[in-house]
Amino acid sequence: MTTILPVRRRTRRRPALWALLLPFVVMFLLFFVAPIVYAIVQSTLATRSSGLGFGPPETTFVLLDNYVRALTDPAFVASLGRLLAFSGILVPLMVVTALGLALLLDTGRARAPRFFRVLAFAPYGVPGVIATLLWGFLYIPATSPVLQVLSAVGIDVVPLASGTVLFAIANIALWGFAGYNMVILLAALDAIPGELREAARMDGASMWSITWHIKLPLVRPSVILVTVFTIIGTLQLFVEPLVLQPLTTAISSTYTPNLAAYNQAFSQGNPNLAAAMAVIVAVLGFAFSFGFLRLVNRKGNRAW
Amino acid sequence: MSIHPARRARLTRLVAGSAVVALTLAACSTGSDDGTADGGTPDEPVELTFQSWVPNIDQAVDAFNDSHDHIQVTLETITAGPDGGYATMLSAVQAGNPADVVQLGYDAIPDFLVSDALEDITDHVADAEATFVPWQWQTGVFGDRVYAVPQASGPLGQFYREDIFDSLGIDYPETWEEYYEAAQVIRDSDPDRYITAFAFNQAPWLIGLAQQGGAGWFTAEDDAWTVSIDGEETISVAEFWQRLIDEDLVKVEADFSNEWNADLQNGNIVTWISGSWADAILRGTAPETAGQWAVGPVPQWSAGENVSATWAGGSASAVLKGSEHPAAAAEFALWLNSDPQSVDILTNVGAGWPAVADTSQVASLQDDPEVFDFYGGQDIWEVFAESDAAVDTSWEWPPLSSTLFASLTDNVKEAVDTGTPLVDAYRQTQTDMVAALEGRGISVN
Repeated sequence: MTTILPVRRRTRRRPALWALLLPFVVMFLLFFVAPIVYAIVQSTLATRSSGLGFGPPETTFVLLDNYVRALTDPAFVASLGRLLAFSGILVPLMVVTALGLALLLDTGRARAPRFFRVLAFAPYGVPGVIATLLWGFLYIPATSPVLQVLSAVGIDVVPLASGTVLFAIANIALWGFAGYNMVILLAALDAIPGELREAARMDGASMWSITWHIKLPLVRPSVILVTVFTIIGTLQLFVEPLVLQPLTTAISSTYTPNLAAYNQAFSQGNPNLAAAMAVIVAVLGFAFSFGFLRLVNRKGNRAW
Repeated sequence: MSIHPARRARLTRLVAGSAVVALTLAACSTGSDDGTADGGTPDEPVELTFQSWVPNIDQAVDAFNDSHDHIQVTLETITAGPDGGYATMLSAVQAGNPADVVQLGYDAIPDFLVSDALEDITDHVADAEATFVPWQWQTGVFGDRVYAVPQASGPLGQFYREDIFDSLGIDYPETWEEYYEAAQVIRDSDPDRYITAFAFNQAPWLIGLAQQGGAGWFTAEDDAWTVSIDGEETISVAEFWQRLIDEDLVKVEADFSNEWNADLQNGNIVTWISGSWADAILRGTAPETAGQWAVGPVPQWSAGENVSATWAGGSASAVLKGSEHPAAAAEFALWLNSDPQSVDILTNVGAGWPAVADTSQVASLQDDPEVFDFYGGQDIWEVFAESDAAVDTSWEWPPLSSTLFASLTDNVKEAVDTGTPLVDAYRQTQTDMVAALEGRGISVN
């Protein structure tokens, strides 16, 4: 008897199940799977001309040629390296800053915590292009009051020189997203049951040990989430270099893989190579995100 | 296969329309088909779309619509070609719903031919060849077939602060050697002042300087391209600018940047070699300096010569492949760029130096106090008319010119950023460009 019931219920539910799933499945296939398949298909094709190039071109199947071309192009490989360096700079900086801000606001001793929460979050509301334009003005000696003051006291900083431009971009990203990540972490901190803190305090735990032994382990999933988001975000680096490009000699048209793909697709008329570059970036994104998740999960709760 | 939906709708309308006309005019045999392109009539005009990014070009389109009742053109303003406009056009051709007429840079015409995106309009416009300046007409001709009607170009001239030249006692530099000497005097006169900006970001400017130095980067020979971006002429031009950069006589700075605008306004940059259209930019950027500028010809490599070049050619009107009314589209393209009224409007709105040979008919290129006052009363159009006539007609644009632009600016940027020789940047661009062409299956000698 007890074994028959679920079976009957399942058969009855099936049409409803599919009806409810259908909108999602259709949208998912149409707007998520199909573009990926399309990009992969495009990345295996190439258009070839002959002679002077003025006859109608032919589209041919070239399998992995575009991938080989992208990965043997020193400029594209350099852009991948640059991206890794950028991730190396930004990810730790982002997580530590967001966590630091969240913990400060969560101490209970902070004054006007709501005000500061909004203040830290506000840059997230500024569109990336506008933010980069604003920082662009601050990075150029001719228009930056900050650099002018520094220069007046004998400190010459050139944020957009080739050695510093990656940090300049990281600074813009940090300014824009640290507040957003802070809010995620604050929500996690808020969710920690009050009894736990109280019990710890009763046992004589200091502020530091509460932070270290109670708060941090309990917000660990959120920290991982923020880290993965930041990794994915850094791999998509595009707007900042695009907008800063005219202001400096240090940013080329292949500065990041996304910028290189964009230029191939929209300025150099080679959407097939662009598709291959895009797939490479996507694969890297998967590899890093899942690699990171595996790493933290294997170490269990003792990650820190 | 099946008829395109839009075309079907238009067909239905046309059939319905002509049925009405046939019924009402049944007794009357005059008819309204006066033999115009594609059979448009005042009642049922051919409808065209025209994509352009030239500001205020709608004035010329309106003038066309007012004077033509069998063709009506709708303007679509799009992003400038290199910034995405070309991609839009090419995708539309692929998708089968292209605009009929589009704005195309001379450098982009081969790119579009490589993508098989242009309609052969020889039969509709070939008779008009003599109307245009030869080098400009040739930019639309490939293997005796005509694919584009030239509109305007940017013959180069040198804008300079005459007041500063005078106060420093500098004679106008007729040759590059005199230019170098002038650069030294100007640099010595003020710690912030330079003769000009070395615009590492501006491929058309870099290319124009090479072209003016006698370089021809691409030549079609025996069904293959000869590429010589690292040729002797280019290398000596690069070495000249290398000397100016090394001796800190030019400011390495992107043109059209905020810094550059400020430098033009406060006299820290006192010359600019640019196209004829730059006059409007100067007047807009540095209105306070009115009356202090003048224009002269580009300095020469050999004294007494008169060699000029352009700011990456210019721009044309072409008919996209897949247009439903290629004949009407070609008629519009020709009118837009040759009718005196239209050419006058285009010149007025800043499209560039007109491609028509006879500029004496262009009202806005005659006495123009508003423009001339800014240049101390000088008739600056004379300089550009001479420059236009002196442009070397043998310069050819290759396919993949967008790759050329990107590669050149990337390499020159890297050279000035890392302090490596400029000539290496041109050599690298040569390598990049040959690889790009061969990568597309195009033959290179």
